[in-house]
Amino acid sequence: MTNANNTTEEKQLEQFMQRIEAGDKIEADDWMPDEYRMTLIKLISMHGMSEIMGALPEKEWVPKAPSLQRKLGIMAKVQDEMGHGQLLLRVTEDLMKPYGKNRADLMQDLFNGDLKFHNVFHMETKTWADAGIIGWLVDGAAIITQTDMLKASYGPYARALQRICAEEVFHAQHGESIILALSEGTEGQKSMVQEALDRWWQPLLMFFGPASKETTGSSKQDLTIKYKIRTKTNEEFRQIFFDKYIPRILSLGLKIPDPTFHFDKNGKLWMYEQPDWNEFKKIIKNQGPRSEARLNLRRQSYEYNSWVRDALSASTS
Amino acid sequence: MGEENTFYQEYEIFSKRTPNSAFQHQFSLLAPNEDMALIMAQENFMRREPVADIWIVNRKHLKRMNADEKRTLVRLENKEYRTTKGYGYLKKKWRQYEQEMLDEKEILSWGGERK
Amino acid sequence: MNSDGNLMDPEYKEAVISLLFQLADDDFLYSFRGSEWLGLAPHIEADIAFSSISQDSMGHAAMYYKLLEELGAGNADDLAHYRPAPERRNSILTERVNGQGYYMETPHFDWAYAVARSYFYTQAKKVRIDSLCESTYKPLSEVAVKMRMELYYHKLHWDTWFKQLLSSTDEAKKKMEDAIKLVIDDFGDVFSYGKQKQQIESFGLIGSEEELKAGWKENIEPLFASLQLKVPAIPDHPVKNGRIGEHTRDLEEGLSTLSEVCSADITAVW
Repeated sequence: MTNANNTTEEKQLEQFMQRIEAGDKIEADDWMPDEYRMTLIKLISMHGMSEIMGALPEKEWVPKAPSLQRKLGIMAKVQDEMGHGQLLLRVTEDLMKPYGKNRADLMQDLFNGDLKFHNVFHMETKTWADAGIIGWLVDGAAIITQTDMLKASYGPYARALQRICAEEVFHAQHGESIILALSEGTEGQKSMVQEALDRWWQPLLMFFGPASKETTGSSKQDLTIKYKIRTKTNEEFRQIFFDKYIPRILSLGLKIPDPTFHFDKNGKLWMYEQPDWNEFKKIIKNQGPRSEARLNLRRQSYEYNSWVRDALSASTS
Repeated sequence: MGEENTFYQEYEIFSKRTPNSAFQHQFSLLAPNEDMALIMAQENFMRREPVADIWIVNRKHLKRMNADEKRTLVRLENKEYRTTKGYGYLKKKWRQYEQEMLDEKEILSWGGERK
Repeated sequence: MNSDGNLMDPEYKEAVISLLFQLADDDFLYSFRGSEWLGLAPHIEADIAFSSISQDSMGHAAMYYKLLEELGAGNADDLAHYRPAPERRNSILTERVNGQGYYMETPHFDWAYAVARSYFYTQAKKVRIDSLCESTYKPLSEVAVKMRMELYYHKLHWDTWFKQLLSSTDEAKKKMEDAIKLVIDDFGDVFSYGKQKQQIESFGLIGSEEELKAGWKENIEPLFASLQLKVPAIPDHPVKNGRIGEHTRDLEEGLSTLSEVCSADITAVW
């Protein structure tokens, strides 16, 4: 590397960071440092695959949904999740162009375990109340991070998130609708909701990631904040989630399954018992309760029907 | 991996909300050919809005601009001669003749009924 | 004929109800099997498109169950969820599982079967809906007109998949031909009207079984000719006739999943 090359690269980087600081939008064809590109690819592919994998626990409830309207509601929601995955994978695929990778490679990365997906989608869904909790609180958690990233520096991601957030409103209401019907129902239905909340509490806390990288050994939050892909830290997101949802949870007569949980008026922070972050590390490595089974299901179907993709590749236009 | 490449072709999707609207760009999807792209377009991007028409364009048929070429799009802001801004003085002139100025609002209203 | 059950000739009403159960159960089961593919289709964009067809079909089932409710046959959700297998009137084609090893952890859902079943089902649905648009039972003709609007897309979608897979690789052709055989084996009861055939046809509720079969054959002939394939013959005697309550184990397993949550407490509101 000559000095001239170093200066050009440095200059480009400097101009790039100025654009970021100025709140400019970066587009797919713009120059960007490798670190920015890689950070986006990791973040958006994980987001996209989480949507794709998230469809699997939810779709189990389509046949079991206890009314025609609920079946339709869940089908529409699962379709949206796949749709979100599609938008995000497209954004990722355009970013990966310089590396010569495409959708097929992304699928392989997922099956190899190189591409992670959110902890919540590795968990079991035991009852109908789980379908409600997912729509209400898991989607709720996702809305909090996604609405922050509507202002992301990367244009294509911000635009995809606009479409996504618009649909999340329906998801939140669909989830609330299920939970409210249960909360206003029989004793059996009410205890179903509490039991589901008890099981989902820790996964929900972990959804936002650890407060600092010391907890699990790594954290994307520093890079994503530096490049203005997001503006808040993991802990800030978690606190906002509590702000929005704790009052509503309590209003339905539900109990938070953490006896230490309370709001500290001095620090203006919600205080809670840390979830088991070692468990989180395992889950993210595809050792969660349903990780293997769901990946197998997805992989099996993809490979068993690969003849379809082979067949249509032969007839292009 | 060759055949995987031709299965995953990139198509840009355009649609009209109503028969009288203009086409607008929606998003891109992967499909092995145009007919497949067409049967997937509406359900992928326009589930919650009316659609009157769809265009499918393979990305390889789009001419794109690189960073250098985009520089040819820049213009100076010294062209009042072709905007109404350059003729604002007419208002005062016409007053001398006890007439109103024909501005954009007035002229665009001429398509309606005779007053 | 309006939907006021009291003014209706009891024989006419019975025939309407019988036909409605067939139509409702068909779309309900077809949609249920379609929804099992969620997240598992061979291509993400295709998964999303397929899902809309399953939703539309569930919507159609809901419309038929609503007509049944209006005739006093029961609550729509109850009719959909609680009737046991011998009371179901769907064609067995719609109840069949999506692939081998279905009851195991990772079943092999067969896309060729999904396409073949959907193609043949949609073609049959098209002739039935077109005929229902002329039904003497007005509430039914009105919903048929609505459904016909959505069928344009369903038909384009499955025609495209069917045609493209059958005109591609040898492997695809073989898989499709095997799937078509499985579908046709179960096709014998699709156009059947079961025990009420005589009344259903003579009351003008829908065209005759023979007319519809002929129409179906005429519709698919051009495509088969272009693919240099023979239009398969519908079996004369169905292996099982779902229209008279003859069903397979697949249906019983399916129904137990479908009613799993709500049957835990049938008085509860969900």
